[in-house]
Amino acid sequence: MKTVEKIVCPTPKAGEQSCSGIYGKGKVRKRREWRGVKDTFYDYTRWLYLLGVIGKFIIKPRNIKGFFRYRWMMNYLFVPHGMDKFTIGLRDEALRMTHIAMNYVIADVTQAIDNCFRGDRRVGNDKAYSDRCVITDENSMTCFMMGFDPKVVPAILREVPTMFAGNIFNQFSVTHYLDVAQEHGLPGDVCPMPEAEAGISIDDDFCVLGCCAVQNNTTCDGSLMGNGIIAKRLEREYGIPTFQLAAPLRHKEDDVLEYAAQNIKDAIAFIEKHTGVAWSWDTYFAAAKRVNDATRKRVAQLEINCTNYPQFVGAVFSLYNDTNYMGNCGRNEEFCRKDKKLLALAERGLAAKHMMAREYRHRCIVWGVQPQYLIDMLYWLVQCWGVVPLTDMLSMVNTDMIAEEDTPENREQAYRDMAMLNMEMIMRNHTHGGYKVLVDELWEICEKMNADMVMMWEHMSCKALTGMHGMFEEQARERGIHIMWVSHDLCDPRVFTRQAIRDQVNLYMRTVMREEPLDPAIEVIDDNEAW
Amino acid sequence: MNKLLKFCLSLVGIVLGLFVVTFTVYFFNLDMKLTSAVAPLLQKWYDHMEHNQYL
Repeated sequence: MKTVEKIVCPTPKAGEQSCSGIYGKGKVRKRREWRGVKDTFYDYTRWLYLLGVIGKFIIKPRNIKGFFRYRWMMNYLFVPHGMDKFTIGLRDEALRMTHIAMNYVIADVTQAIDNCFRGDRRVGNDKAYSDRCVITDENSMTCFMMGFDPKVVPAILREVPTMFAGNIFNQFSVTHYLDVAQEHGLPGDVCPMPEAEAGISIDDDFCVLGCCAVQNNTTCDGSLMGNGIIAKRLEREYGIPTFQLAAPLRHKEDDVLEYAAQNIKDAIAFIEKHTGVAWSWDTYFAAAKRVNDATRKRVAQLEINCTNYPQFVGAVFSLYNDTNYMGNCGRNEEFCRKDKKLLALAERGLAAKHMMAREYRHRCIVWGVQPQYLIDMLYWLVQCWGVVPLTDMLSMVNTDMIAEEDTPENREQAYRDMAMLNMEMIMRNHTHGGYKVLVDELWEICEKMNADMVMMWEHMSCKALTGMHGMFEEQARERGIHIMWVSHDLCDPRVFTRQAIRDQVNLYMRTVMREEPLDPAIEVIDDNEAW
Repeated sequence: MNKLLKFCLSLVGIVLGLFVVTFTVYFFNLDMKLTSAVAPLLQKWYDHMEHNQYL
């Protein structure tokens, strides 16, 4: 089997060596981690910052009204706890990068909720604002909005704060909505993410705003089912016309590009018609430059993770990329500044050879449909077993540059670029598109990043990857790569608890790898009931 | 001069006091412990709300 060089940190990290002392039974942790004076103080200042973000949001009367109207708002009381999940054991640059990236994601989501409440017919009811808004899916590449000034035509990703982000802070956030969906006869064997979104719509718990909506086909039966239910309510009850942006799933085939580009043109024409605002090429190409800048910075971060001292890893690396690549898609300049800051920190950490744990034993690629946003799994993996998650499937998105100069040829090329981005959005780019993108590319990434291990998330309600199980096994054996299957049910913790998920890793590491944990005190954590 | 010194000292005292209080809340996770006490009450509020459930 393939082996990698074991890297040992020459000095103990500041503060407590094991984070086992922070965990308690029940919903909350006993205390926060002692990281030495400097890093504890930094973490404390970021905690104050987050309280400031929440305080600034809730001070508005309409947001208080929204808080008591929508059940999912309760999840945002647990934001500091959610942040703590992603910082276990971290010090120095890794701690700072995690805070900068995640704090910005939180600020972005807070702004999204504020926008939702402003236009919501039940809360702010700012009709003039609502009439300019375009609702888009949570799991959607927002490239078709790149030519609209976000101040004039805001894109409202209303499912992000309602479902996806809420679930980061509270693992039980959607169980009510799953029950509602299933009480109304929807099957329980689909992905709980779109099913929860369908449940929110059935429960009438989405904000209602916007002059039109754009839905896209994601990747699965659950998503198609959910979109139908949501679109029906939007159109028939609330009179919000909904466009279906149906991207071809075989996105590596050349002959689908023209169809996909035409689909983007149709979506733009639909938005122009309903908002009364014309598409601007100046705005588009300015956003395209920022998309390319974000791509370059993401590639540079991945290059750093190819070295013996990976810096920016884990769920936050993925969440930040997800927000920047899909939700932002070049429309917000602030992401460029954050990207620059994050890369500078990663380069500093690499130069100083800073590590997140006292030993790195394995270099791991995280593949499959991943639930790592809900739990502190990837950070635990480093601290408990010395397994470094170098990157994950959802972060391995487009690395090609798109046209960024405004010329007549590039205006036609722009539609093809948007079509490519849309087809190769997160999730769709690896779970659909054929054998090459799901299986072959994994081995290419293992080779490039010098990984000796793959942690394969097996989402038990997802049918997209089930047929490939045997092929992964067979090919991993041929290449001498350790493949560790870890089952879960995404955002339904009643099916797989946190410890049930960790136990699969513990079992593999002890029985197959014949290893002892770096930190045995956190091998079993009583946090199944925690948010 | 005395007044200025007094003002500065009280300012430092206030800042230090605030730091001690907030740091204690932060380190012992008192914010989340309080939230865990409030959350069940909110849960009841949301459970009693009427919703136009429709498929």
